[in-house]
Amino acid sequence: MSIEVSGVTKRFGEFVALDDVNLSIPTGELTALLGPSGGGKSTLLRIIAGLESADRGTIMIEGADATRVPARHRNVGFVFQHYAVFKHMTVARNVAFGLQIRAKPAVPFSTTWREDRARINHRVEELLDLVHLSQFAQRLPSQLSGGQRQRMALARALAVEPKVLLLDEPFGALDAKVRKELRDWLRRLHDEVHVTTVFVTHDQEEALEVADRIVVINDGRIEQIGSPDQLYDEPANDFVMGFLGEVTELGGVRLRPHDIDVAVSPGVHGSVPGVISRVLRVGFEVRVTVVPDPVIGAAPAPEVNVVMSRAHQRSLGLAEGAKVWLSPAPEAARARLAAVR
Amino acid sequence: MVRTSAPVRWLLRVLAIGYLLFLVALPLMMLFGDTFADGLSTLGSILSDPDVISGFRLTIIVALWAVVINLFFGVTISILLVRYEFPGKRALSALVDLPLSVSPVVVGLALVLVYNGRTGWFGPFLEDHGLQVIFNSPGMIMATTFVALPLVIREVVPTLTEIGEDQEQAARSLGAGPLQTLWRITLPSIKWAVVYGVVLSLARSVGEFGAVKVVSGNVTGSTQTATLVVESKYEGFAQPEAYGVAFLLVMVSIACLIVVAVVRPRENEPRRNKR
Repeated sequence: MSIEVSGVTKRFGEFVALDDVNLSIPTGELTALLGPSGGGKSTLLRIIAGLESADRGTIMIEGADATRVPARHRNVGFVFQHYAVFKHMTVARNVAFGLQIRAKPAVPFSTTWREDRARINHRVEELLDLVHLSQFAQRLPSQLSGGQRQRMALARALAVEPKVLLLDEPFGALDAKVRKELRDWLRRLHDEVHVTTVFVTHDQEEALEVADRIVVINDGRIEQIGSPDQLYDEPANDFVMGFLGEVTELGGVRLRPHDIDVAVSPGVHGSVPGVISRVLRVGFEVRVTVVPDPVIGAAPAPEVNVVMSRAHQRSLGLAEGAKVWLSPAPEAARARLAAVR
Repeated sequence: MVRTSAPVRWLLRVLAIGYLLFLVALPLMMLFGDTFADGLSTLGSILSDPDVISGFRLTIIVALWAVVINLFFGVTISILLVRYEFPGKRALSALVDLPLSVSPVVVGLALVLVYNGRTGWFGPFLEDHGLQVIFNSPGMIMATTFVALPLVIREVVPTLTEIGEDQEQAARSLGAGPLQTLWRITLPSIKWAVVYGVVLSLARSVGEFGAVKVVSGNVTGSTQTATLVVESKYEGFAQPEAYGVAFLLVMVSIACLIVVAVVRPRENEPRRNKR
């Protein structure tokens, strides 16, 4: 295990940011801390980096207790949401910063000094190559785009060969297209470099697409840990289910809108009859809203949202006002309402 | 740009130019005119006057010390105010502004009360140890430092707040210690605010009159700064000399402004264009 978080609690005044959090992050994996804003995921990342201190609990990095170790001795690479570039330095000098800090003081123009410089320059070239910024080495960060700045920040963090790489909402300040590009790029970079990486995001699509493992954090607590498939298909609770994708309610059960079978005749046992109130086509998919028939003696059931392909909708001939019978698809991910409420 | 009608535009221009003309330009032009009324002879005579030379020498010494002290404490207090939380922070922040609102004469009197050699709180003690503060350059430096205290801080604090803590934290996570972070990250990012603050302090220190007059004793040739020389020349019916010294003081201020104007845009413009 590369990072071991045990019993970490952090308060800001009355607000409990983290409440007795325990977490192990395996070596070499790409882990996402996913959750809504203000849920404590960034605080956890900053505590791992040593930029914030925990009120209680311990942090172990690669088997060594790092709880009291200051940030600069933790050998952790950190990438900030707003890049935190050194504005007064060129791209190359930004990347070289950590290496220059670590270089032993040497007499200027002495042999060791020259060797150190050559070594640092070589490493900076390698890193800039890795993040595709070689031709921008002599520019100032203000002359780069947001995506380029964030790649530079990544190269800077990787330069010191950190034991773990921590990214705090790394793509949060970028526009949608660049965001998607960088996401793919981060995944490929991780496959190349294999450094244990933890990144914070509030975007479930980003987490599902990039991460090996996802840790869902809400209200200062861990809700679930698992692979993207596990989380999507077997959500531990209602919150995880709701956070990772769209959810609708059918017969007292919550499930994904595409996990509902629609029939035009009452066939399946226990299927819920209803009338289609709206059909909305969005690109290749069709969203159908169904109002379940009122059951005598029970509170009216909420509208059910169903998603299906355009072809399926056509073959069934579904239109507004049509009578349908709904049933959960077999193997569908679901959370029982009773368990949650 | 907001579009305004032509008459309004002209009215605004006339107002602004008239305001500056009557308040700044005309008086300064008269000053220049009187200085050079007899050609260069006035300037020549004041530059060979030992009292004037000693006044300028003292002004330079006092102003340089005041600027150096304010530079060091100004930057330190700014970092303290922006980056750290501590009890009494708001009180300190308010205290920093005090010299702007207190009359320099009051500052001078207060210093005399504390440091004078006979009845002051510290004065007799210091004088027994061979340090005379009042009627001597230490007192003048203290008075000038006090008066110029807020200038560096008021320039640096907004810049420090604006750049935020991210860069410093990034430096720390890359292995930099507190001093390395200060030297390599914080100071370079606030460089221009510091330069600006220093120039303002310098101009203010050179021009200080009231506080220095009270603490200096105003002895011609020994504890008289350039501004005090101007006054004593003027009072002594040597108006041309007074104008000449005043002219030189104005030139110092203009030189300060030119330094700022020349040095600052060169650094900023290429960046501003890129944004």
